[in-house]
Amino acid sequence: MRKALGITLGAAAVFFAVTFTIYFFNLDSKLGAMAYPFLEKHYDEMPRKSYL
Amino acid sequence: MNIYGNVVSEHPARKGDQQLGVLFDEGKVRKRREWRGLKDTLYDYWRWLGIYVILIKFIAKPRNIKGFFRYRWMANYLFVPHMLDKFTMGLRDEPLRIVHTAMDFVVQDVASSIDNVFRGDRRTGNDTEYSSHCVLTDENAMTAFMMGFKNAKAILREVPTMFITNLLNQNSVTHYLDVAQSVGIPGDVCPMPEAEAGISIDDDYGVLGSCAVQVNTTCDGSLMGNGVIAKRLEREYGIPTFQLLAPMRHREDDVQDYAAEDIKKAIAFVEEHTGDKWDWDHYFECAQRVNDATRKRLAWLEINSTAYPQFVGAPFSLYNDTNYMGNCGRSPLFPPVDKKILELAERGYKNKTMMAPEYRHRCIIWGVQPQYVIDMLNWMVHCWGVVPLTDMLSMVNTRMIAEEDTPENREQAYYDMAWLNENMIMRNRTHGGYKVLVDELWKFCDILNADMVMLWEHMSCKALDGMHGQFEEQARQRGVHLVWVCHDLCDPRVYSRQAIRQQFNDYMRTVMREEPLDPSIEILTDNDAF
Repeated sequence: MRKALGITLGAAAVFFAVTFTIYFFNLDSKLGAMAYPFLEKHYDEMPRKSYL
Repeated sequence: MNIYGNVVSEHPARKGDQQLGVLFDEGKVRKRREWRGLKDTLYDYWRWLGIYVILIKFIAKPRNIKGFFRYRWMANYLFVPHMLDKFTMGLRDEPLRIVHTAMDFVVQDVASSIDNVFRGDRRTGNDTEYSSHCVLTDENAMTAFMMGFKNAKAILREVPTMFITNLLNQNSVTHYLDVAQSVGIPGDVCPMPEAEAGISIDDDYGVLGSCAVQVNTTCDGSLMGNGVIAKRLEREYGIPTFQLLAPMRHREDDVQDYAAEDIKKAIAFVEEHTGDKWDWDHYFECAQRVNDATRKRLAWLEINSTAYPQFVGAPFSLYNDTNYMGNCGRSPLFPPVDKKILELAERGYKNKTMMAPEYRHRCIIWGVQPQYVIDMLNWMVHCWGVVPLTDMLSMVNTRMIAEEDTPENREQAYYDMAWLNENMIMRNRTHGGYKVLVDELWKFCDILNADMVMLWEHMSCKALDGMHGQFEEQARQRGVHLVWVCHDLCDPRVYSRQAIRQQFNDYMRTVMREEPLDPSIEILTDNDAF
């Protein structure tokens, strides 16, 4: 029981540390900014039926 | 006029980052998130986790992954937390909680809307049974005519594709503008309908629904875009459209019979194509929610008329847009959110909570708002101590509609729905004559104790441009500081963010002879940012 509690608390602490670091240093938006040009290239290469 | 004068915060200095310029470098996104003191930073972190729960639940569905890689506009949703950062900049205590309550709920609502689109979309979920009960409604439509349909679903395709994406990424629609212009549509029309037409031309809308209802609100630009969209819907996808046309002189009594008759026809059109029947019980249940939303909005405005406004700026505008127009009483999820926001606003007022150390001016935002720099309203508070009390798009219907099911009220209901349709956001001021656009502005200045008006001058908008001289003359007569800020709605290549803010900076320095509260954000290096 104590061991399970310890593991849970430990996991929660690691989760908090990792996610708070991502949050505070805005790493999620920075990753999105890196991915965006690749996504744009993907959409550019898709065949489309474009007409007025 | 500003009866409160300069209002200085009675609370100790704001915790955490004092100079907000530390958050910016020349990158695409902010250097880091704000330190707001331990309590508020942990609160913001908690809400950030909540946003990711919404996003992960959304993308976990295979049809939504398919939609993400099919539709170009979906890439912008990588920046949902980035949007929240813009709207919460500099906020603590109740204002921070109000913005999160309102905007996190809007995020949930939009996620749900996109999920609905992809469920019925022929290219992704292809749920044909669900799609047969869907009605594509114009982004600019008051969805009042859907209030009596329990099963038929209103799908606003343009909201997640064009409107919301511009809040996330300033360049979200430039590709579609280029597409529209590449087929010969001029570049000096309003970018909003042009982008919507461009999305259709580029075949980047989800395809679903048994029918579509288009409207002539906001303006003729919408009519132009709708023609392009309707052509594709009808000829390629076999989805018939109905044109719901609000009269131009919507304040006149002699047009109301026509308007009510058009609502009846729209309802009959939806019944015919979806097979769903109008339900008066459901209608009056929605009508009660419409009235409740009106009362809450008036209560928020009443608090904003005091020395300690609480629910202001872009979140106020966007939340009202979502609730008043997109929802129009149909969802039971909104009233508890409205109630929570009002509780927070009342608490903030009692505590005399302020968003900045000092309020120097009280401002009404008038004119058509550019989405890619709508966070400028929050910037005005922190940079110059100018509080945006309300905006033109939030000054909508204040009349209570009939909410009790009686034979007389069933007939009155068509007139109420027509009235709501005519009083669609923005359109209720840009059409209907100078009384609704100019005269009522000065009444609101008196009611809200405003000494300043920031007038968004949308350079492609033919509706407001013609009244420029009237605004100048009457503001001068009334001693109201009138700040013109030019923009091009959703095309930042014409007017960059800093060019827009600089107009306000120039007025504050040269006319008002004031120094900024926070000089570190007077010039922001975000012209290339998302």
